[in-house]
Amino acid sequence: MGTEMGQKRHSASLANKVFIQRDYSEGTTCKFQTKFPSELESRIERTLFEDTVKTLNNYYAEAEKIGGQSYLEGCLACATAYLIFLCVETRYEKVLKKIAKYIQEQNEKIYAPRGLLITDPIERGMRVIEISIYEDRGSSGSSSGSSSVSGSTAR
Amino acid sequence: MPNSAGKRFKPTKYIPVSTAATLLVGSTTLFFVFTCPWLTKVISPAVPLYNGLVFLFVLANFSMATFMDPGVYPRADEDEDKDDDFRAPLYKNVEIKGIQVRMKWCATCHFYRPPRCSHCSVCDNCVEDFDHHCPWVNNCIGRRNYRYFFLFLLSLSIHMVGVFSFGLIFVLHHRERLGALHTTVTLVVMCIAGLFFIPVMGLTGFHMVLVARGRTTNEQVTGKFRGGVNPFTKGCCGNVEYVLCSPLAPRYMLDPRKKPHAKIQPPFIRPDLSERQITIKVSDNGIHTTIISSKSKSSLDGLDDKETQPPLPPKADRYNQLKSQLTSSEESSLSGKTHPSTPAMYKFRPSFGTMPKVHYHTAGEKVRYDLFNTYTSAILEEGVRGHDYRSEPNLDLPEYTNAPLHRTFQSSPLQLDSDPINSRSLSLKQGQRRPEKGQLPALQPQTVTSTPYKSVFSPNTLSNRNGSLSYDSLLNPSISPATASECMAHRGMPSMGFHSPYLPTKMCHIREPEMQRHQVAPTYSPVMPPRGVGRQSPHSRDRDPSPVRYDNLSQTIMASIQERKEMEEREKRQMLHGRSQTHIYAQDSGVFDGGYGLPPNVCYPDGPRGPGSRGPTPPAYGGSRDNLMGVGLVSYGQRTPVLRHAGSTLGRAPRTSSTSLHTDHSSTNSSHSRATAPEGLYRSPAHQPHSPAMPRSPSYSHQKLSYISAHERTDSPRLGGPREAMKVNGQMDCHPSAQGATHSPSRHSNVKKVTGVGGTTYEISV
Repeated sequence: MGTEMGQKRHSASLANKVFIQRDYSEGTTCKFQTKFPSELESRIERTLFEDTVKTLNNYYAEAEKIGGQSYLEGCLACATAYLIFLCVETRYEKVLKKIAKYIQEQNEKIYAPRGLLITDPIERGMRVIEISIYEDRGSSGSSSGSSSVSGSTAR
Repeated sequence: MPNSAGKRFKPTKYIPVSTAATLLVGSTTLFFVFTCPWLTKVISPAVPLYNGLVFLFVLANFSMATFMDPGVYPRADEDEDKDDDFRAPLYKNVEIKGIQVRMKWCATCHFYRPPRCSHCSVCDNCVEDFDHHCPWVNNCIGRRNYRYFFLFLLSLSIHMVGVFSFGLIFVLHHRERLGALHTTVTLVVMCIAGLFFIPVMGLTGFHMVLVARGRTTNEQVTGKFRGGVNPFTKGCCGNVEYVLCSPLAPRYMLDPRKKPHAKIQPPFIRPDLSERQITIKVSDNGIHTTIISSKSKSSLDGLDDKETQPPLPPKADRYNQLKSQLTSSEESSLSGKTHPSTPAMYKFRPSFGTMPKVHYHTAGEKVRYDLFNTYTSAILEEGVRGHDYRSEPNLDLPEYTNAPLHRTFQSSPLQLDSDPINSRSLSLKQGQRRPEKGQLPALQPQTVTSTPYKSVFSPNTLSNRNGSLSYDSLLNPSISPATASECMAHRGMPSMGFHSPYLPTKMCHIREPEMQRHQVAPTYSPVMPPRGVGRQSPHSRDRDPSPVRYDNLSQTIMASIQERKEMEEREKRQMLHGRSQTHIYAQDSGVFDGGYGLPPNVCYPDGPRGPGSRGPTPPAYGGSRDNLMGVGLVSYGQRTPVLRHAGSTLGRAPRTSSTSLHTDHSSTNSSHSRATAPEGLYRSPAHQPHSPAMPRSPSYSHQKLSYISAHERTDSPRLGGPREAMKVNGQMDCHPSAQGATHSPSRHSNVKKVTGVGGTTYEISV
């Protein structure tokens, strides 16, 4: 990394936010667009981003799937006068927890090292995936500089 | 209750729900108290049970409908709407299953309402799948609680029907005592039930239709789909299933969970660079693909001198390996540089071609490579892969022959700047790629053709990991322009330090493209048989970078080129036999292209290379070295170990001979004369073993021609072969000396010294 970065300035400031919108082409099922936003082009690899979004989409599809489990849940809920909701987590909530964990993990492993942060869509009403872009405030442009330096050194 | 002015508390809004609740609970209670005992007695105990259950169900659903979040959207952050707020159009269209649906901007919530979403003025919220606001439950009915509302309606209807029926039975049985308390109460209950029966049943029926159609009340009432198609319908059964059986949707209005956020701390990783650096992709340019693949397998043979296979070593000596390594890089670089004019260069070219797949650049960048890429990648691959790949610096000459010499690799990082100058920098021999550039200019003018090579070679030069232009590449002037391109490609790689003849080139690829840029040693005459390049590199690697260091890349390239050349030469030799090719090992002189007049002599004095390279007797090109002329074949047969094809040998000398150098790079190793051997180390006199390079000479000369055209790498393994033959092998790597040394036996009879561009002197054995 560039020497500039060497100065351990742990300061990163929010520079921008990118919003990944919902993909409504298949109806109101929860699905996010996998189109790679241009603001992230220099921040993260396209494949990583797409993987993240696709995984999230898969999670949501799994959560919203109408099948055996959802039937069972409904019947049980009816039978217990919906008191079951006080005791047991619904399937969707379970998947949401998985999603939260996944996003947390992605943030830690992939996005945070690149100065990005994904916000769980549930906090935004599942309308958008919000990706915050941080810049190193310490040395302006140092992040990029370091990158380039590292790039060159990497040769 | 009096109306309060404040928004906080509006009693009036609770009236309906209170009324509804009261009526419901009260009536049912009365029913149970006054009517049910008699019914239990008279009819069955199941009656109250049934009614009790139904009532329970009604209550539950009523509660859920009343207290459950319908799917309220939280307000959008300011950040989200900054793009949309002021200049935003009121509507945004989105296509759902082929139907255009309009999304309206919500000024209160600051976002475009998702499809089916609506803003409830009573609740002052946008609600997902908004149905309506129900005063009786004092709540919006939306996605989350629609099911409960619907079930409430259904169960309430059933309940009302039941209560009314059982009350009627009671009353009918107590007709004579209508004034009795029980009867009166039952009558009252019946009246209430009867009174609300019509609206409730009406509403239930209405919603049953809505559910079946997959519409919301809002959509129905506003007539959105009147006469149109509903994009949200899933069919009648699907809709019913969706309403009744879908999982409970999540709440959006959650308390902010205190999740530990990932720490954001600079420095940040940037993708482009990392990608470039990390990714070594083999881009397939179509034709080139084959080349590359072949290369890896030691495909050099395929092209020219397939010999180039993995680090030359096959040749049997470590020396070879070294040579190949060195050569390849050198050669590649050299070859790249050698302008096409030199037959040797020509040969070289192919090697580059194979490598074309410069992998290392990011996907986007590789594109440019085209043919060049193929070569370079081929070469580079070899280099990169190290010994594994070594095999073939892909001197796919044949393919590239036609290939645009001018392939512009430029675009890719590998892009070896094809400025000939760079290639010329073979003279870099000093090992710095950059210098090559400087020298290149001189070369540049030399041959137009060389230009394309430049690009080719540039990579080579770059590839010289050792920083020295593989002399080999020079040696393989025969490399065709394509090779040159390869060289270029190699350039990028060189930094890696090739292990194999081709490795360097490959490595070049991997390395940053920067490498190449600088290094482009255009001087490589593409002619240089790629073999040489490939071959050489390995040699060089093993050997110890020659004093004249071309780029690592170039070495690799050189090696590969040399190998190729050797192969070609071999082939040629076989074909021609007897041609004495005078390879011009221009390669040696780093500046390969110096006009290919470079003496195929392996021993190019190539200044940059360092005298060492000249090493042992400049491989006698063998009389046949005439190809030195331009063949540039890197017939480093002699030294083959390093495939340095002295492609540059002018005479194009028998590439073949050189090939024998190492793994039988048919490259004209025989051109031990590859003076180029900058790597002196390269010289693989030891190589000889594997290929009687010497003997090959005859083949070289011809090869030259053949090289250029087709990389035939037949280069007979004469590596050591008749040096004279040619070896121009660009074996750059170090073969020059090695060549001489290796198999000096067949030294060419005449050694002509030719000064190439950049001041390199080549010895051509004629």
